[in-house]
Amino acid sequence: MVFLVFLGIVGVKALVVFTVAMLIVAWGTWIERKVLGHVQLRYGPMRVGPHGLLQPIADGIKGFFKEEVIPDNADKPVFILAPIISIAAAVTLLVVIPFGPSITILGREITLYMTDLDIGILFVLGIATLGAYGGILGGWASGNKYGLIGGLRGSAQMISYELSMALAIISVVMLSGTLSLVGIVENQAGLWNIIRQPLAFILFIICGLAELNRTPFDMPEAEAELACGYNVEYSSIKFSLFFMAEYCHMFVFAALVTTLFLGGWHGPILPGVVWFFIKTFAVIFFCIWERSTFPRCRYDQVMKLGWKVLLPAGLLNIFVTGLVVILLT
Amino acid sequence: MELIMLIICGALAITTSLMVIFARNTVHSALWMVASFFSTAVIFLLLRAQFIAILQIIVYAGSIMMFIIYAIMMLNLRQEDPGRGQTPATKSFGLILLIVLFICLMSLGVGSGVMALKGPITDQLMLQHGHVAVLSNFLFSDYLLPFEVVSILLTAGVVGAVVLAKRKE
Repeated sequence: MVFLVFLGIVGVKALVVFTVAMLIVAWGTWIERKVLGHVQLRYGPMRVGPHGLLQPIADGIKGFFKEEVIPDNADKPVFILAPIISIAAAVTLLVVIPFGPSITILGREITLYMTDLDIGILFVLGIATLGAYGGILGGWASGNKYGLIGGLRGSAQMISYELSMALAIISVVMLSGTLSLVGIVENQAGLWNIIRQPLAFILFIICGLAELNRTPFDMPEAEAELACGYNVEYSSIKFSLFFMAEYCHMFVFAALVTTLFLGGWHGPILPGVVWFFIKTFAVIFFCIWERSTFPRCRYDQVMKLGWKVLLPAGLLNIFVTGLVVILLT
Repeated sequence: MELIMLIICGALAITTSLMVIFARNTVHSALWMVASFFSTAVIFLLLRAQFIAILQIIVYAGSIMMFIIYAIMMLNLRQEDPGRGQTPATKSFGLILLIVLFICLMSLGVGSGVMALKGPITDQLMLQHGHVAVLSNFLFSDYLLPFEVVSILLTAGVVGAVVLAKRKE
């Protein structure tokens, strides 16, 4: 009986988290197009529904009914596997995101996260790397030179920026003394990590944008040079899966910034979950805003920034954090 | 239950490892290796070693395999190249090496008591302090010297790689 109740709670949680994430993914595209439109002094989607609100549904249906093409030159099993890896990894990451503190429903305490892993932040790093295989393999398996170059760029960028990202995370972990995401949020009850770790925050944002393949780091898909990069041969639902994975990653990234640096669910008056989503959407807005502001970097500039600026900065930050932690205790 | 899962994961790990060798396509081979590392990580999880499991995924399945796949794609080794460089001499050498390694592993006692939890890190300790805390306490007290020696070895490897790469200029 107890086990059944436990199973029921976990099932409901999984369903809710998945549904919310998919809704955010769908209307994330709408938000992006609207914000980009208004930044560029136009309206963005307006035709389907009021202010184009039903546009994501129309796009989804269109995605399903488009013709499915698998190129002759493609490596068929890997070609099919690639988008699946992408979306599966992106959705798996939702498991450890702490959306809010525990609440009481029907006399039972329910935590507003699916699981509190002892190694939460490492889990995120590990699964995120696995997710990057999706794009790389997709590019390679298409048997298309633009796809291949996109995939290669993706993996090079992943290798370079994952390091600095991990360094930024380590300095946060050093302050909070735990790898669990819930622990990190609880540790920020008084002071948010963005004030205690401003350099790590900047590093994390830059590396995160690079890992998300967003402008100014959208090397793997750079439309102007690579036609669309790793997903150039994909059509129909497979392309949609890549697209969904990208927006799901953006949501997870925003949630991680909120969790690690912006105090997670902490905030006055409003309930924790509301604060969490306010902060997350602020970060998502930032991602779209900077996309419409910055031009794309050149490839060698991206690599130089990763290895010669961000990596030393991350190491320095860890060194200083370590000194401060030792001096204070 | 755990034993069944362990057997399934072990079988998966062995099958995928065999596929690494038998796959004709180099990239497929690398992918099977990722799968193999992944199933090894699940075995670590079943042995309640979360931290080591996730390190296995980050370091091996993530970073190292990413490097290998990058290198394979860069060199464009897509065309299969059956049996190049395989002579009876290399084959028999491989076989002998396999037997020697097998005997070494068996004599170390890997075969006996795989399921038994031995050593200072016990289940109760992990539940009390959390897995990472227990591991780091042992790593930075009892095993400090081996830990530092390994890190020196790795640094030497990095320096060596830089020297080798520079020589061509």
